[in-house]
Amino acid sequence: MDEFQEILQDFLVESFELIEQLDQDLVELESRPDDLDLLNRIFRVAHTIKGASSFLNFDVLTHLTHHMENLLNMARHGDLVIDADVMDVILESIDLMKALLVRIRDSGEDSGLEVEPCVLRLDAVANGTAVPASAPVAAPEPTPEPVVETASSEEEPDYSGMSEEEVEAEIERLIAIRQAEDAAKRARKSHDEEQKSEPAAPASAPEPVKAPVTPPVAVAKTEPAAPKAAPTPRKVESKDEGEGRGGSAVEQTIRVDVKRLDHLMNLIGELVLGKNRLIKINDDVEERYEGEAFLEELNQVVSIVSLVTTDLQIAVMKTRMLPIGKVFNKFPRMIRDLSRELNKKIELEITGEETELDKSIVEEIGDPLVHIIRNSCDHGIETPETRLAAGKEEVGTIQLKAYHEGNHIVIQIIDDGKGLDAEMLKQKSIEKGIVTEKEADGMSEKEAFGLIFRPGFSTAAQVTSVSGRGVGMDVVKTNIEKLNGMIDIDSEVGRGTSMKLKIPLTLAIIQALLVGVQEEYYAIPLASVLETVRISKDEIYTVENRSVMRLRDEVLSLVHIGDIFEVERVFDNSEHAYVVVLGLAESKIGLIVDSLVGQEEIVIKSLGEYLKGIEGIAGATIRGDGGVTLIVDVAALMQMAKSVKSTVGQESAENKGRVAAKSSASDYCVMIVDDSKTDRTIMRKSIEPMGITIVEATDGVEALNILKQGDHNFDAMLIDIEMPRMDGYTLAAEIKKYNKYKNLALIAVTSRTGKADRMRGVESGMVEYITKPYSPEYLMSVVKRNIKFNEGL
Amino acid sequence: MSEKLQQIINKQHKTLSGDDVKIDEVIQLVGFIVGDEEFSVPILSIQEIIKPISWTRVPQTPSYILGVFNLRGAVIPLIDLRSRFGLETMKHTEDTRFIVIKNGDDVAGFVIDRLTEAIRLPKKDVGPAPDTINEEESMIDGVGKQSDRIITILKVDKLLERNF
Repeated sequence: MDEFQEILQDFLVESFELIEQLDQDLVELESRPDDLDLLNRIFRVAHTIKGASSFLNFDVLTHLTHHMENLLNMARHGDLVIDADVMDVILESIDLMKALLVRIRDSGEDSGLEVEPCVLRLDAVANGTAVPASAPVAAPEPTPEPVVETASSEEEPDYSGMSEEEVEAEIERLIAIRQAEDAAKRARKSHDEEQKSEPAAPASAPEPVKAPVTPPVAVAKTEPAAPKAAPTPRKVESKDEGEGRGGSAVEQTIRVDVKRLDHLMNLIGELVLGKNRLIKINDDVEERYEGEAFLEELNQVVSIVSLVTTDLQIAVMKTRMLPIGKVFNKFPRMIRDLSRELNKKIELEITGEETELDKSIVEEIGDPLVHIIRNSCDHGIETPETRLAAGKEEVGTIQLKAYHEGNHIVIQIIDDGKGLDAEMLKQKSIEKGIVTEKEADGMSEKEAFGLIFRPGFSTAAQVTSVSGRGVGMDVVKTNIEKLNGMIDIDSEVGRGTSMKLKIPLTLAIIQALLVGVQEEYYAIPLASVLETVRISKDEIYTVENRSVMRLRDEVLSLVHIGDIFEVERVFDNSEHAYVVVLGLAESKIGLIVDSLVGQEEIVIKSLGEYLKGIEGIAGATIRGDGGVTLIVDVAALMQMAKSVKSTVGQESAENKGRVAAKSSASDYCVMIVDDSKTDRTIMRKSIEPMGITIVEATDGVEALNILKQGDHNFDAMLIDIEMPRMDGYTLAAEIKKYNKYKNLALIAVTSRTGKADRMRGVESGMVEYITKPYSPEYLMSVVKRNIKFNEGL
Repeated sequence: MSEKLQQIINKQHKTLSGDDVKIDEVIQLVGFIVGDEEFSVPILSIQEIIKPISWTRVPQTPSYILGVFNLRGAVIPLIDLRSRFGLETMKHTEDTRFIVIKNGDDVAGFVIDRLTEAIRLPKKDVGPAPDTINEEESMIDGVGKQSDRIITILKVDKLLERNF
């Protein structure tokens, strides 16, 4: 069973590889129907799969491929002209073959799919054109003169007409010719052939004869498929090619389980973290032992380690790279089908298919590209008549380009169709209730183009099978966002549309911008950061309750990172703010942060099962100091920004609200800070009659702690100046650093009477200055005035 | 001589099998204090116990999730059991510990007030959770009775289950 599984795996891998090339070849074939090389290659695919599947007892698949083989064989001999109709049938059968293979991969069986209609059509095409299948096949048989020709004839069913001796003689001759063939290959193929002969009907009829005689012969049967009908020189050529593939490819590549590569990537991730940490420690050590001899050596080691780690990371990343051609390959076929379906003439130009990117991205990028290209075919390219009328060439062109740009890969899809009409898009969106009229009016052309990515948007007047169902483009956006990519649309009415997808090369280790907000840090994937700007607070405007700023000629909406991540804002002492301009897919937003820390290479780690799916957080990373830093999910952040109530520049309003909420005397709260118990008692006695809440602290440090704990909302503080640990001035200055205590009344109660002292008091933020001794009434009235006692009651 | 040997072997065999039976009947727990009560979890579910280290707050989570911390390269959630049990939060003290509990692939750290001891408890001394508690919702697996105290045994899978 295990052995069978192994063989089955090999079969599937081989088959899917063959098929990948097949689509490309088929589309080419349509434009060059008489290219024998191509035909032979396609024939061989059908043939190989037929052989292997019969061996593995996949009867349905064998049945189908057998008929395909028949048809292709006729074409190969020139007995059948491949036109579009024949092509349709061939393509249909190949699709069916793919479906069967997928079924086999998933369930291990090839049952459940109806192949009979397709088989009938295959036969009909084969028979319907000129001569019935058997006739042309028979034709080459009696021409045994050139070696090549004989080789080919061997495959025809008419072999059965030969006597056993004849067959044997023929076989022997063939053995001589094929001696040079690779032994292993021969053995394997012969196996296939042996098995195949039973279920496969007429084409393989001669095999049962050959197989028992000498297994290696069977090779002759598959191999000559290429050279057979071609003139001799070509035969040699294609044979060489085949051997070259078999020989060198085996030696130079290795199939590795993706899991192993993933594991390797994880380990590298750990190493990168270690490296970052080492660099940090090195910096610290450098500072501490400046000028010592061993530093030089340490420096060298650290830089070597960091260099090698980086190289290693790149090397491992490269092992996961696949050419994007893997994805692009299916598009020629798709365009062909679409253009027939839509009755349009479309040409696809592919460039840069050798551009490489990470396997995981290659897998994700396929669907979005399909949607975009479909969209271009359906909505972009006009019908030939319209195109001619507009003075364009009858054939529309879609260009598919891939190229590297820094740490990104750019995939561009350009069509020369009718382009996007911003006004029309806005109109549609308003009709569908995606945006309000007001929103639409304020939209720039680019923003209007972005509307096509909104869920529920579809500009097609009529729903076709191709597009217009309202799904699709928003899927594109979601998928690209998932890859941390960006979409840029450019379009001109009547001239065409260009869509640019910019995607980071890899996903596991990324460059990030570290930002600080209060005492927290967050990492933002650098791929999404367009720029950072430092602005002063008065550059922030409020439009309809949203904060915005002007960035060159654009209006950028702003959101504070603290509002998104519920960061308590305790201090706010700067007149300036940093704005990180984030771009994702086609939207932009400005994120206000307190500080920019720097750029760092980070390894993405998941938050685990317990915390997964936290909105706005893509994962976590471990920093050089061993701490955990959360990674911002830019896509989610943009969503959240829409619903978050902006509090940029609105702190004072909140404070007012707090004052107004007093309903009884005990809601007022005053703190007494003095190191002398007597003084505290005197103060308390003075203001106690008001019935307000009183808290006592013995010095500045304690006072600050009580304040920070936030158990009470203090309205005023009576502060002595001379205190141990932290004096009154320092305390006042500390308190005033915190934005939320801006309105807290600080009253100095002191025996220092000098003018300079009073001045210092004012400088540090005290509003009143009471000198000891004082009358209880005086103190009470000062406190009352400052806490607006009774005003709110 | 051989008879004696046989005897010894037999004896050893007996004690061995006897021990086996005993181990079966005894559950091993690690006890800890949260608030005023003593709780415990099976010793095998504990990956390790560490002294408090710094953690990073995670937004959009209930208040009992303090955040995440770095345990030798792994990012692990940190849950405050006091606020998880609806008690008032308290400043960490000398005795505060993080217990890292594991159940399959789920791992989380829990803040507890202090450890008590490893407890060996005969199975027969473990009673069911009080009936008044809803079976589905309860985090209590059972109640262990020892001479002078009762110990609440917590359900590890419930502790590690996300409920927000």
